Amino acid sequence: MKIDRLEALAQAYGGDLRRWPADQRAFAESLIAADPAARAVLDDAAALDALLDASPAVVPTANLAARVLAAAPVRKARGHLGRLAWFLGAGWAAAACAGMVAGVGLTIHLTADERADAVLYQSSLTGVDDAEVLG
Amino acid sequence: MVASVDPDEDLVRRVGQGDPAAAQALVARKLPRVLALARRMLGDPAEAEDVAQEAMLRAWRQAPRWSPGAARFDTWLHRVALNLCYDRLRRRREIPTDTPPDRADEGAAPDRGLLAADTGRRVDAALRALPDRQREAIVLCHYQELTNIEAAALMSVSVEALESLLSRGRRAMRQTLADLSPQSEGRRQGEGR
Repeated sequence: MKIDRLEALAQAYGGDLRRWPADQRAFAESLIAADPAARAVLDDAAALDALLDASPAVVPTANLAARVLAAAPVRKARGHLGRLAWFLGAGWAAAACAGMVAGVGLTIHLTADERADAVLYQSSLTGVDDAEVLG
Repeated sequence: MVASVDPDEDLVRRVGQGDPAAAQALVARKLPRVLALARRMLGDPAEAEDVAQEAMLRAWRQAPRWSPGAARFDTWLHRVALNLCYDRLRRRREIPTDTPPDRADEGAAPDRGLLAADTGRRVDAALRALPDRQREAIVLCHYQELTNIEAAALMSVSVEALESLLSRGRRAMRQTLADLSPQSEGRRQGEGR
């Protein structure tokens, strides 16, 4: 029964125990140590493994590797030029903000003067009217 | 599936961050595996290159959102490549061509000294002649060296079914390549004396 199981596993996974299910390796090793027929089963399977290994190795061409690499994700790099562009952008933004603040301040100042002149003018006109009415 | 640390996790994370050195390392590690899988599944170098390239492009797209834990990256990549291979195998069946598929070379003269390259070609031809599922089982377990659990999961079969496919596939390979086995070599030398 045990040798039958060993044969079945060798037919499936071959003669190299590293390719076997991890939980069956100890069983196989103990059987091989106890029964020379078990060793013969593995040797027979290993002969087919050796034939399978004659299949030529498959190596990617440099061209294929280059095509694949060319499509790899790239970090949004901030190199020297990127940093310069960033600083220039920040400078323009700061200048724009300062200009806006100055503009708002100037507008408030000018409109306040205008409003004061208008009030004074209005009050002088009122004074003339009052004198005429009272006079 | 056995929970274990994914050896590719760190590399994939760095690829997702756009690290060019990591991308190069992942290509060196995975492209040969994916290409070998496709080559042995399809038996056609040009188609295998297309599949390997497409699988790697999908890996690039997946890398930035790769979440470790669900599956190993290698297993995920195998699944992608296998699906692409099966798409092509299905298309071949739907569009019959005038050129018959490659068959195992049955007519090798036993007394002809076979070079290693010839042996390799015959092994590849025998592999191509196997039914798809038997070939897939042998490719995943023998050539890609996946565990039986990983291979069974990729093929959506039980481990027992995988073992059956492996046994039948290996038996067919043994029969096709019988004249190349050491035993038959010994027999031939004995007959020649």
